[in-house]
Amino acid sequence: MTPLDFDAEVLTPRMARIIEARDMTAQERFFRLQLPRPLNHRPGQFVMASIPGIGEAPISISCGPRHDEQLELLVRNTGSLTRAMHRLQAGDFMGIRGPFGSGFELAEFEGRETIFVAGGLGLAPLRSLIEPVLSDPQRFGRATIISGCRTPADELYREQMQAWARRPKARVIRLVNDTAHQPWDGEVGLVTAPIAKLEIDTPNTLAVLCGPPVMYKFVIMELAARGLSNAQIFIDLERRMRCGIGKCGHCQINHVTCCREGPVFRFSDLESLPEALT
Amino acid sequence: MRGFLTTRTAVLDWLRTLGQQEDVFFPLPLGENSFSFDKVRQHSRLAFEDFDAAPGEKPFRASSCVQPPGKKLSPNNEQIFRFSKNAHGEYQLTPTLDERPRIIAGLRPCDLKAIHLMDRVHSDDIADAHYLTRRRNTTLIAHDCLQPCDEHCFCDATGSLRWRQGADIFLTPQPEAKLLLEALTERGERRLDDAGFAPCSDIEERRALAEEKRAQPFGRHFDAPLQRVIDTVSDSWESPVWDKHVERCFSCGTCNLVCPTCYCFDVQDDYNIDDPDSGQRSRRWDGCMLEEFAVVAGGHNFRPQLAARQRHRIKRKLAWLPARFGDGSFCVGCGRCGHQCTVDIDIFDIANDLLAATEARP
Repeated sequence: MTPLDFDAEVLTPRMARIIEARDMTAQERFFRLQLPRPLNHRPGQFVMASIPGIGEAPISISCGPRHDEQLELLVRNTGSLTRAMHRLQAGDFMGIRGPFGSGFELAEFEGRETIFVAGGLGLAPLRSLIEPVLSDPQRFGRATIISGCRTPADELYREQMQAWARRPKARVIRLVNDTAHQPWDGEVGLVTAPIAKLEIDTPNTLAVLCGPPVMYKFVIMELAARGLSNAQIFIDLERRMRCGIGKCGHCQINHVTCCREGPVFRFSDLESLPEALT
Repeated sequence: MRGFLTTRTAVLDWLRTLGQQEDVFFPLPLGENSFSFDKVRQHSRLAFEDFDAAPGEKPFRASSCVQPPGKKLSPNNEQIFRFSKNAHGEYQLTPTLDERPRIIAGLRPCDLKAIHLMDRVHSDDIADAHYLTRRRNTTLIAHDCLQPCDEHCFCDATGSLRWRQGADIFLTPQPEAKLLLEALTERGERRLDDAGFAPCSDIEERRALAEEKRAQPFGRHFDAPLQRVIDTVSDSWESPVWDKHVERCFSCGTCNLVCPTCYCFDVQDDYNIDDPDSGQRSRRWDGCMLEEFAVVAGGHNFRPQLAARQRHRIKRKLAWLPARFGDGSFCVGCGRCGHQCTVDIDIFDIANDLLAATEARP
């Protein structure tokens, strides 16, 4: 037989043991997994996560790059698979394939200021880049994290964000649309609001956005008003991949596949992709 | 490259004999005017058309085989892996790779080109092991076309009519109810060496004989050369043509299902009904014309308008995939989508309308 020049298990996940599972909000459950071997992912990449017999879906990697066997995911309960995942406990198993996608080039952020704008669950994938940037203030410039969600009860990574605010060269702005009569120590408003008042070094700044599609247009308008060009803005897009290897067709945006060329795109590259943000 | 010459009957008998040892797929009659690539049995009715066949006299035509033969390489509900779970909740997963040898015979140049394009797609970047395993164990026996299939055919316009790459054996009709058999690969040579047909030394002359007999013009042709069609479709984003052709579309996805270069899929998990601790994951054909195709978690649809989905389908065939792979049109001109569409929407007409709209633009 001819030797295989392809991975026979390309569509077959490896089973990872859950070593920590807890609800972060009523909708989102946090998982720390022990993989059979290191993933060696880049920030902004995703995995195909599954429960055999139930299904598989793309989930953003929410921890910074690491070379051990651990992986962190934040899963929103939004369908039959993620509902089943919300019942998984430490000791249970989850299937993982990947990592997939282009992700962020860390070198691009060296010596630069970065503005992170996260809407809701968008904070999870951005965390994979925020962590390495904040952990090396010698290498990376000032980081501003603007994170918004609906109400205080929906906020993700609260203690983590409070800890980030104490790091050198870090600014953290936490917002809710509505306090909903809950205790709240952050600001009230949309993620667009703080951008106009930020002190920034425009030519040396990059912005990274992840959130619901409706958020991008307005955030980009605010960033443009501060003088940022489209080449200085990165967007992490959402599509429902079925394979992760550019074959199933579901994540195609015009002539590119989100799973391969994306899900992270430079905004100037999206100008030729009119389907990207609508 | 070796050639052989024998009668059509001898080739059909050979295929029937091979069909007793392995899976041989050949167009078998389904009804009055439809054929299906099914397994050849000892008494299957098999036929090739005559060298002097008049248009429409073919025993089977590419577009009357509703499912393209290439779909045998990525079957619907194809199993990806099996799993079982033990008492400790630990899983065992086994990928399913189909290594059975098989033959697809009687396929036409348009379908052959489509398989070549699918080979490119599935070996691009991260390869699809399931497709490639099946493909490597498949022998392709293609058959030249001297007459267009029917009024839907436009294979010559898309550059597929003279396609031979990918075939292990290529058959060309000859006078006196004979066929020229050419081995184009080592695998084809091995197959033909075992068959015991009479060697043929004048291959080029025999091919020229068939070329003279080929209908001219062959099938439908666009109102411009193929490269102009590709350039025009590539440059057409906002165009009233996209709206015109969806006015009567039901968004049923038949055009996707019958297209030899549609390969999108959805994934489905199942438990075994008699053993809930085991099951399988499989993939089934999906189509970008279906309304739910671009829906993401939470319900947002990135392509809700029918015209946008139609544009997406046409641009994949005539703009985006040609640009990515540099291997010409991904529409091979088989005519199936127009033939099978219940409301006669035809990619050929859409392309011509886009050409006309571009010409008319000041």
